[in-house]
Amino acid sequence: MEATMLPEVTAAGIIIKAIIVLAVIAGLAAFGTYVERKILAYMQRRLGPMHVGPHGLLQLAADGIKLFTKEDIIPQHANKVIFSIAPVIMAATAFIALGAVPVFPDFTIPFIDVYVPSIASDINVGILFVLGMMAAGLYAPLLAGMSQANKWGIIGAARTAVQFLSYEVVTGLSLLAPIMLVGSLSLVDFNNYHADQGVWMVVYQPVAFILFLIAGYAETNRTPFDLLEHEAEIVSGYVTEYSGLRWGLFFIGEYANMITIGILASVVFLGGYNDLWIFPGWFMIIVKIAFMFFLMLWVRASWPHIRPDQLMWLCWKVLMPLAMVNILITGFVMMII
Amino acid sequence: MYEFIAFYIFAISTVVLFGITVMSKNVLYAMTSLAGGMVMISGFFFLLGADFLGVVQLIVYVGAVMALYAFAMMFFDATKDIKEKHQNPTLTIVLGALMALVFVFIFSAPIIGENIEALYPVVEGVGNAQAVGMVLFTKYLVPFELAAVMLLVAMIAGIILAGKKMDHSLTTHDDAVDEVLHHRFESESDAIHDAEKIADRAEREGAGK
Amino acid sequence: MGLEQFKNRNVGTQNYTKLDLPRSPVTGWCKFKQVVSRTLSGELFVGLGVTMRIMVQSLVGGQSHATLYPFEKLPISPRYRAIHEMLRLLESGHYRCIGCGLCEKICPADCITMDTAYDKNQRKEVTEYTINFGRCIFCGYCAEVCPELAIVHGNRIETASEQRASFSLFDDMLTPIDNLNLQQEYQGFGAVTPNADENIKKTPLAY
Repeated sequence: MEATMLPEVTAAGIIIKAIIVLAVIAGLAAFGTYVERKILAYMQRRLGPMHVGPHGLLQLAADGIKLFTKEDIIPQHANKVIFSIAPVIMAATAFIALGAVPVFPDFTIPFIDVYVPSIASDINVGILFVLGMMAAGLYAPLLAGMSQANKWGIIGAARTAVQFLSYEVVTGLSLLAPIMLVGSLSLVDFNNYHADQGVWMVVYQPVAFILFLIAGYAETNRTPFDLLEHEAEIVSGYVTEYSGLRWGLFFIGEYANMITIGILASVVFLGGYNDLWIFPGWFMIIVKIAFMFFLMLWVRASWPHIRPDQLMWLCWKVLMPLAMVNILITGFVMMII
Repeated sequence: MYEFIAFYIFAISTVVLFGITVMSKNVLYAMTSLAGGMVMISGFFFLLGADFLGVVQLIVYVGAVMALYAFAMMFFDATKDIKEKHQNPTLTIVLGALMALVFVFIFSAPIIGENIEALYPVVEGVGNAQAVGMVLFTKYLVPFELAAVMLLVAMIAGIILAGKKMDHSLTTHDDAVDEVLHHRFESESDAIHDAEKIADRAEREGAGK
Repeated sequence: MGLEQFKNRNVGTQNYTKLDLPRSPVTGWCKFKQVVSRTLSGELFVGLGVTMRIMVQSLVGGQSHATLYPFEKLPISPRYRAIHEMLRLLESGHYRCIGCGLCEKICPADCITMDTAYDKNQRKEVTEYTINFGRCIFCGYCAEVCPELAIVHGNRIETASEQRASFSLFDDMLTPIDNLNLQQEYQGFGAVTPNADENIKKTPLAY
């Protein structure tokens, strides 16, 4: 996967970048659970976690200890190999996808003079790679649901297949219009496009932005489309039989996916990690990712979720034609100009 | 060096995974190894510098195997082994081995004859996606369009086969909703009469106890 | 005037107003119009606005429905039947129980066991008194029947414990002699919650 590197990138720089991504995003994913609980609590006039540490900040550590020390149960009739592999797929694909996403601007570490690139592996089809990896991540709920010999799990797995077959087309088609404008599949080129144009992509492609957000929420099982593990309907869907660390891996994978979608939306539509006015790039990308993350929580607090058949109807009968029309219009405008 | 290591890792894991696909009697093992093998194949494309094809392999086959999973879920109990019927195992093995040999000859013949040359060598300074596009829309335009038409035909056929009752929703009976929402009593007195009857009956039953 | 008005439970035909909803769309074009109008009407953003307003109120205004439970407890109603308590006489500090055995008799779950003897003053003393909290159904009859207000339901609602037995002995339930001045008189089953006045508010149905 080390196809087209910038010349001055060294192995040390890539390793440092990979460690940064792993450590920071894994930490952020854990921190995300705290943020989610807090924000949802405030939106429902509650307080959320308060007792462990100041304002419950150390709740993370308490939860981590709890997850690590919990008994790891594998149901009797479950397919043990697949049951054990599924959570690893979730976490692994989430972090592999992050390997091809530019998180921060490139920088050089002073004193030891190591150049750290903006992206761990700048393959020139980055955006497709990220989407493909996140799509492969949906095998985790599918396998988890099918291997655990539990009816709720089977329903969760069936809904995974339904959801995947619905949103995947919309994700690809909604990103196609921005890709046509930029003329490249590399996420770094998207960032540079914003720098050249001086205008965010969302101004040119508002429809594509909304479509991508909707599909992204379906991709990460966030609330309007959290069919896979909706407590009110299918106890916990594909994670019904999971406990302890395996469940924690699912959780971390889900939050890492949320961050990935946030980064993708920021880089493709919201100007990436370019400087804005007096704010430096690394600050802007953090603000944008934080906003996208907050938007997911905000939506979760506000909107009800929809049925599987409604999701299929929405994706195939509404969003896909909209995306096609958007692509056609974009193409015609590009030909005329 | 690194490419060799990577190649052998990908090659061995691909062969092993597809072997499991063929040999295993468990649906879940077979399909999971199939998906894993498809992902491993995309590794070869990345090694060859064909990033675009690698990613396409990932996306397309992930989706295709996912659809297979949906069928497996409907037809099989995933936690049990499948009972296979072997009518004539010798014949199967012989035919399979012959097929494999034929394929080896077909693919190795041009290599031995040293007749391999790229008809459309990769243009320098052009990205992967562009290169694929250039070949697709010049040399292979007709096959490309034909494939598109065939897919369209298949899609329309599928819609017609499955779509007879497509608008009939199993979850929302519009008729029932209409009935509830727009039901008007014949007259107001009827409604009150009904209510009185119900109340009377309730009273009698209560008194009986 | 009889009770007809109250016996008629079928209130739906009397007071409810029927909504004049538009018919659900039939043709494809009507459905399309409905989808477009619902999508563009912005109702989704009204929902987002509501949650954001609530969040600002609870963050800035400090409005919250939550209490910091182990540190902050809401007063419980005197009607609440929690773990039993044995009260003392305020003047002498002697326990109030006269050993009449009514609570033992009335207990429907048969969980109270007591044994009494005459002491040297020919006064009945309680030699043994236990409540089996594995059987107790917290019906409150014992407190109701007690002629001396000796056994009452206290306010100990956190009944988590390593052993059930740690609540059930007479001495455990008896008010500690040091805390005699803190002993609260039982207000009876009809009493209202201490903060009842604050809790009175207009219900949504007050029209």
